[in-house]
Formats: sequence, C-alpha cells, structure tokens
Amino acid sequence: MTDSWDGEDEDEAGRFVPLYILVNGRTSPRDTALDLATQVVALRVDTTRLEPEYLQILSRCGGWISIAEIGAYLHIPLTIIKVMVDVLLEQGYLKIGSPAQQKVVDLRLLDAVLAGLERL
Amino acid sequence: MDRTSVKIVIAGGFGTGKTTLVGSVSEIAPLTTEEILTEASLGVDDTTGVESKTHTTVALDFGRITISPDVVLYLFGTPGQDRFWFMWDELAQGAVGAIVLVDTRRLDSSFPAVDYFERRRLPFIAAVNRFYGECEYTEAEIRSALELGPEVPLVWLDARDRESSKMALISLVRHAMARLALRSA
Repeated sequence: MTDSWDGEDEDEAGRFVPLYILVNGRTSPRDTALDLATQVVALRVDTTRLEPEYLQILSRCGGWISIAEIGAYLHIPLTIIKVMVDVLLEQGYLKIGSPAQQKVVDLRLLDAVLAGLERL
Repeated sequence: MDRTSVKIVIAGGFGTGKTTLVGSVSEIAPLTTEEILTEASLGVDDTTGVESKTHTTVALDFGRITISPDVVLYLFGTPGQDRFWFMWDELAQGAVGAIVLVDTRRLDSSFPAVDYFERRRLPFIAAVNRFYGECEYTEAEIRSALELGPEVPLVWLDARDRESSKMALISLVRHAMARLALRSA
C-alpha cells in the first residue's frame, strides 16, 4: 500500500464525461418555448457529421414525437434533452410542431380534444 | 403538416392514483422522464470556499392520447414530492387544466395541489378516487375540507377504470371550455 498515485483510477474516470460537453457547454435552450410536450420531427437532411448522441435522438424522430418521450426512451434528463433538441432545431435537423402553450388555448382546439376523448 | 400538443396535468397527493389514471387512458404504457436538480446550498459562508451542492432526481410519469392526426394530448402526473413547485410550473404552463385526485383517507394531501391551481388560475376539477372503497364523506364535506370554490367541478372516479378516467378528463375539458367562454364573453 502506497500513497503514490499508480494511475489506475484514470481508466475509471475516463469513462465519465460531464453531460454539458455534449451540448457545447450550453445550459439552457436558446428557444425557451420548448416544452415537455413540444412536438418535433426529423427532416430529411444529411446527418453524417452528427455525433452519435444526436443521431440517437434523430432516430427517435421519424414521426412526430414529444421532447418528454425522447428523454424517457433514451434516459436523458429533461434539461439536457431540451438543449440537445434545440441544437438540432437550430442546425436544421429537426422541425418543431406548433406548441399549444404559445397560443392562448382556443375553443376550437378544446372542442377537438373533447371530441377526441368522447371517441375513446 | 403541423402538429399541436395539448397538456393536462394529473395532480394530487402521494398515492392518490395519478399514475394509475394516466395508465388507464393512455395509448402507451406510462413513460417516466427525469429531471436532475442541482440545489446550491443556502446561508452560512463556507470557509473552505467549496460550493457544496446536492443533486436530486425528480421523476415525471406521463401518457399520451392521439386526438387526431394533428393534435396529441399528453397527461403529465405531478412529481410525488410537492416541494418541486417549479416543475409544476413547467407542467402547468399552457396546460388545458388539471385533475386533482383526492384520496378520502388523506384529504389534506391534495390541498397543496388545489391551492396551487387556484393561485395559478388554471382550470381544474377535483376527482375523488373510489379505489379505496366507499367514501365516508359527503360532497359538501370534501368541498369544505379542500376549500373548493362552488365553480370547481367535483367528480367521483375509479382511476383503474378507463371509462371512469375518460369521463373525468371530459369533465375537465368541458370546465376549461366554460371558463374560456366566460372569459372571452
């Protein structure tokens, strides 16, 4: 047993990367309107330059999906997934749906929700 | 084509059946998404100069109902711990409204939720979960214990039952529509 460092914990520590590195040090999305329920869908663009973490997100976005669902399926905390989705939106890989929370919830939309629930 | 999302918040004290309700009407098995919170320590100066922080994970359960090809409804259960109010803020932001589940064995556990939605002026209904058998209180007693205004609908439900949960959601949407109509009148 010695006090000198034998370099062994380096391997251990090397596996961990602070999550913010993946999002270029950003801590909040540029578009603060991004919500748990906001819908996104992948655009047909060249993705060869994307890092695997981002490709993983895009692979979930073949059809419209909410930010909360992407986070749940990929086990990525909400704060992080929001920033990552925002990066993909900014770089033109994703398209965003119209967030209900942006407009005043209107009667026509509520009517549609009501009819949808009654059909269940 | 565009796609709009709509949110409904399912609230209530711990163990009132929030996830059960979400699961009974959702078209997908309830999913869990997590938020990691960093809490800076407050108060006393730290002589070592090291900022001490604690991390907490808050889990949110949610489900989905596709209303039409361009509208999808999400049901978000509030976190089990009432103290994470800013998470509630995120859920309530732009939501159609909330269902506050009530467990008659612990009426007071749903009071913080009632108080929260009152203050935020978000339309909500109270739903007494009959899961635990016959309710020994009258509607008036429950209303008074939760300080519910006369305009707040109170319904009885069994959160395990799809039809029953669906009816509660319908009551909420009708209530939200009535409030909206009143406001724009």
